[in-house]
Amino acid sequence: MSTAEAAVGTGEARAQTGVRPESTSMERFTYDDAIVRKFMLATVVWGLVGFVVGLVIALQLVIPSVVNYTTASGSRPFAFLGFLVSTEFLTFGRLRPLHTNAVIFAFAGNAIFTAVYYSTQRLCKARMWSDTLSRLHFWGWQFIIVCAALTLPLGFTQGKEYAELEWPIDVLIAVVWLGFFGTNFFMTLKVRRERHMYVALWFYIATIVTVAMLHVLNSLAIPAGWLKSYSVYAGVQDAMMQWWYGHNAVAFVLTTPFLGLMYYFMPKAAERPVYSYRLSIVHFWSLIFVYIWAGPHHLHYTALPAWASTLGMLFSVMLWMPSWGGGINGLLTLRGAWHKLTDDPVLRFFVVGVTFYMMSTFEGPLLSIKTVNMLSHYTDWTIAHVHGGALGWNGFLTFGMIYWLAPRLFQTRLHSKKLAEWHFWLGTLGILMYVVPIYIAGITQGLMWRAFDKSGSLQFPDFVETVTKLMPFYWARVGGGVLFILGATLMAYNLLRTWMARPAVYEEPVQEAPALRPLVETPPKFKSRLEANTEFSHKGDIWLQKAADGWWHRLLERRPAKMIVWSLIAVASGSLLEIVPLFAIRSNVPSIASVTPYTPLELAGRDVYVAEGCYNCHSQMIRPIWSETKRYGDYSKPGEFVYDHPFQWGSRRIGPDLAREGGQRSNLWHLLHFQDPRQSITQSIMPSYAHLLESRLDMGEVARHVRAQAMIGVPYGEMVKEGKAAESARAQAKQIADDIATSGGPTGLEDKKVTALIAYLQRLGTDISKPPPAAPAEAGASEGAGTAASADGAGH
Amino acid sequence: MSGGKHDAIAADSGPVTDHEYDGIREYDNPTPGWWKWVFGASIVFSVLYAVFFHASVYGWTVQDVWARQQTAYYKQVFGAVGELKTDEGTILSQMSNPEFMDVARATFVANCAACHKRDGGGDVGVNLCDDSYKNVEKVEDLFKVITDGAANGAMPSWKTRLSSNERVILAAYVASLRGTTPAAGKVAEGKVIAPWPKAPAPGAK
Repeated sequence: MSTAEAAVGTGEARAQTGVRPESTSMERFTYDDAIVRKFMLATVVWGLVGFVVGLVIALQLVIPSVVNYTTASGSRPFAFLGFLVSTEFLTFGRLRPLHTNAVIFAFAGNAIFTAVYYSTQRLCKARMWSDTLSRLHFWGWQFIIVCAALTLPLGFTQGKEYAELEWPIDVLIAVVWLGFFGTNFFMTLKVRRERHMYVALWFYIATIVTVAMLHVLNSLAIPAGWLKSYSVYAGVQDAMMQWWYGHNAVAFVLTTPFLGLMYYFMPKAAERPVYSYRLSIVHFWSLIFVYIWAGPHHLHYTALPAWASTLGMLFSVMLWMPSWGGGINGLLTLRGAWHKLTDDPVLRFFVVGVTFYMMSTFEGPLLSIKTVNMLSHYTDWTIAHVHGGALGWNGFLTFGMIYWLAPRLFQTRLHSKKLAEWHFWLGTLGILMYVVPIYIAGITQGLMWRAFDKSGSLQFPDFVETVTKLMPFYWARVGGGVLFILGATLMAYNLLRTWMARPAVYEEPVQEAPALRPLVETPPKFKSRLEANTEFSHKGDIWLQKAADGWWHRLLERRPAKMIVWSLIAVASGSLLEIVPLFAIRSNVPSIASVTPYTPLELAGRDVYVAEGCYNCHSQMIRPIWSETKRYGDYSKPGEFVYDHPFQWGSRRIGPDLAREGGQRSNLWHLLHFQDPRQSITQSIMPSYAHLLESRLDMGEVARHVRAQAMIGVPYGEMVKEGKAAESARAQAKQIADDIATSGGPTGLEDKKVTALIAYLQRLGTDISKPPPAAPAEAGASEGAGTAASADGAGH
Repeated sequence: MSGGKHDAIAADSGPVTDHEYDGIREYDNPTPGWWKWVFGASIVFSVLYAVFFHASVYGWTVQDVWARQQTAYYKQVFGAVGELKTDEGTILSQMSNPEFMDVARATFVANCAACHKRDGGGDVGVNLCDDSYKNVEKVEDLFKVITDGAANGAMPSWKTRLSSNERVILAAYVASLRGTTPAAGKVAEGKVIAPWPKAPAPGAK
C-alpha cells in the first residue's frame, strides 16, 4: 500500500469520526428503465433522421452538375433531381441547420439523456426523483425537436449557428432543460443512497449547469413577432457571444456528458477499474475551467480584438492535456482487457470512439493556432474536424452504449452480434471515407484561395474554380455518409429484432440500500486548551499532507450543492473575464461615423438573407490577409457591424465572401443570379431562389421589424413612426425594380422579396467609403447618399 | 484495503482506491508524468506568447503583416513605373506590357467576369470584344467608366476597390479585348467607335 493511499485511507476514516453512524435499515426501490428505453429509441430515430439530412445536403453540393448533365442528343436525363437545389424548403441554407441541430441536440442530446438516466440511478442507488419530470423531460425534448424540424425548413431562424431556433422554442428549451431535466437530476442527487458522487456525475453536473448558462445568455433576443426575433447583441459582440456558445456547445453537449458516459459504460463493458482516480479529478476541473475560454479561436483574424483572439488560441492550446486526460483514462482502463476487443463489438466501438476523441482534441488545439487557422478557417478542414468528432466520438460512443444497454433494457440477448460487427466496420470505413477526402478538400481549397502567380495576382481569381475542384472529394463524402448510415440502419434493425424478443413483462429487480443520513459533524470536546491546540495543529498537519492527494476532493464528492457551485464558478469565471471587457471597453469596437443603420427595405432583405440561411455558405468577414483582400476588397473593420443584429460573419465559404458585395454587380445581375445561379455562373452549386421573385414582401412586417431593432438600440429615429418605414421601403424598392426593368429584366418586382434582398446586398460593406452623414440621427435610416468616396482604408 | 478481489486487480496495475460505484472501481494511479509536463509546458508557452505579442515591443499584429504584404505587392508590380498617368498614351502603351496584362487579367476575372464573362463576351454587362461601346469614345473613357461606373451604378465604380494603377492597366486590358472572338458574344450595344489609336513608340512620354 503506497503512502498516498494510506493517507487517503486514514483521511476517510478520520472524516467518519465525529459523524453519526449510518443507519443500517435497508430501503427498497426500483430503477426506472422505461424512461431509458424511451430515450434510447429517440436516439436511434433522430440519429437516422440527422444522418439522412446530412446525406441530403452532401448530395446538394454535387447534384447541380448531375442535373445539368446533357447528353450528346441534348437531353438532360437527371433534370428530375433539380428539385434538390430549387425547392424553397429544401435548400442547403435551410437544411444545414436542421442537420446540425438534429445531430447535436436530437441524436447526441437523447444519447446523453439515455446515459444520464441509466447511470445516474445506479450511481446514486436511487430511482429518478420524479417519474413525472422524467416523462415531461422526454416528451418536452421530443416536442422541441419536432418544432425544430418544422420551423427550420420553413425559414424561421435566429441566424446563429447551432442556436437557430426561434425564441418560443428557446424558452421551451430552457424550461425543459433546467425545469424538468436539471431539477429531476439534482433532486436525484439529493435523495441518493451513495455517499460519494462518481466522476460521471461530476461531468453531468457541469453539463447541466453550463448548457443552461450558455443557452440563456446567447439566445437573448427581442421578439419581433411569434417566430421572429433579433439578437440583443450586434456585430463583434454578437460574434463573441455566439462562438462562446458555439464552441462550448461542443464542450458541454458533445464532450463533457460523453466523458461522463464513457466513465460509466467503459469500465462496465470492460469490467475493469478506471485507470486513475486522481487523473479524473485533475482533468475534470482543468477541462471545464479551460474549455470555456476557447470560443474566440473561431474568430481568428476577424474584426474581433486581438487580445480575445489570443485568449481563444492559448486556452485551446492549454486544453490539449485536460482533454486527453479523459482519453487516457478511457483507453488505459482497457489495460489487461485488450483481448476482449476481439469479440466484443461494444468495446470496439468505445475504443475507436475514444481514439477519435483523442485525434479531435489534438486537432482542435492545432486548428486554434492562428497561422494554422488562417489556412483552415472557412474551409472544409473544419467540417472534417467536427465529423471526426461527431461521427467517431459521439456516434461510436453512443452506438457502443446502445449495444451494451439493449440486452439489459430489453432483458434478452442482442439479436445479432454479427450485425453489430458489420455496423462497426461499415461505420469505421464510412467515417474514414468521409473525413479523409474532406480534409483534402479543405486544404486544397485553402491553398487555392491563397495561391499567387508569378505576376503577384491571385492564381484562382474566379471563386467557382476553387469549388469545382472539390467535386471528387464531395462525391467520396457522399459514399462515406452512405456507409455510415447503412451501419446505423443495421443497428436499428438489430434493436428492433432484439426488442421483438423481449419478455412479455419486464422484470423490475428490487434494489436494496441503506438511506444516507445527513452528515452531522459533532464538535469534539476538549479537556483543555492545550489539547485543543494540539489537536488543531495535528489536523492542519494531516490536511496539508492529504490536500495533495485529493482528499479535499473526496469531501466535495459528497456535497452536490458545492459541486454545482464550484462547477459554475469554474465556467463562469472565464466567461466573465472574456465577455465583460468586450462589452465594457469602447475601444474594442471603434465606431465609424459613416456607418449607418440599414434602411427598412435593406433590413427586410437582411431578414430574407437570415431566413434563407445564406450564412451557411457565405461569410461576411474579410480577414486582413493579402490574398483575401485581393479577392474581396479591404478587410472588415469592427465598426462596420454595429447594427448587425445578429452578426452574419459565417464560418464556411462554400460560396464567396459577401462583406463588400455592395455595388460590385448590377441589380439585374443579382436578380438573374437568384433566379438561376447557373445562368450566370455555369458551375455554380448555389440553389435557385426563384421563389423570391414570386413571394411578396409584407410591408406591415417591415415596420414591425424596424421598431424591434429600434428597441435594441438601432437609431432609427423618425423611421419608427407610423407608415414611415413602409413608405421608405416602397420608395427604395421601386427604385431597384425600375432599374431592373430598364436594364432589360422583368417588371413588377416592387413588392417582391428578391428586391429587398438585392437592396441589402448592394449595401453590404459600402458604408465605410461614404462620407459621414451630416446629422447622424436624421440621416440614419435614409439611403447613404453620395459616391464621392473618402476611400477610408481602401488603400488599393 | 481488504478483500481478495481488490488485491487481485491491484496485483496487475497498482493500488485500487476503496471507492466502488455500481461495481465500478478506480485505480489510485498517479497522473502520468508526461501529462503534467505537457500541460505545464502549454501554460508556460501561453504566458510567453501573450507577453511577447501583447506586452512587448517585439510583437506584431496581423494588420502590420497585411500592410507589409500590400507594400511588397505594389513594389513588385508597380515598383518600376511609379504612379501611372491616366491618359490615352499611357493606357495604350500598357497593352504591350505582358506582365501588366497578366495582372489585369486576374483583376478582370475576379471583378468583371461575373457580368462581362471571362472572355469579355458580355452577359449582364456589355460585350467588350466588339466595336460598339455605350459610354466610351476614346480609350481613356474606359478608365473613366471603370473609375466612376456608368448606367446609374449598373456598371459599378471601382474607385474605392482598385488603385489608380490597377484601373489604368485594367482599362488597357479591356481595350485589348476589342477585336478578340468570345465564345458567345452578346449583341452589340451603343455605337461603333473609331479604332484605338496606335500606341506611342516605346520610351516616348
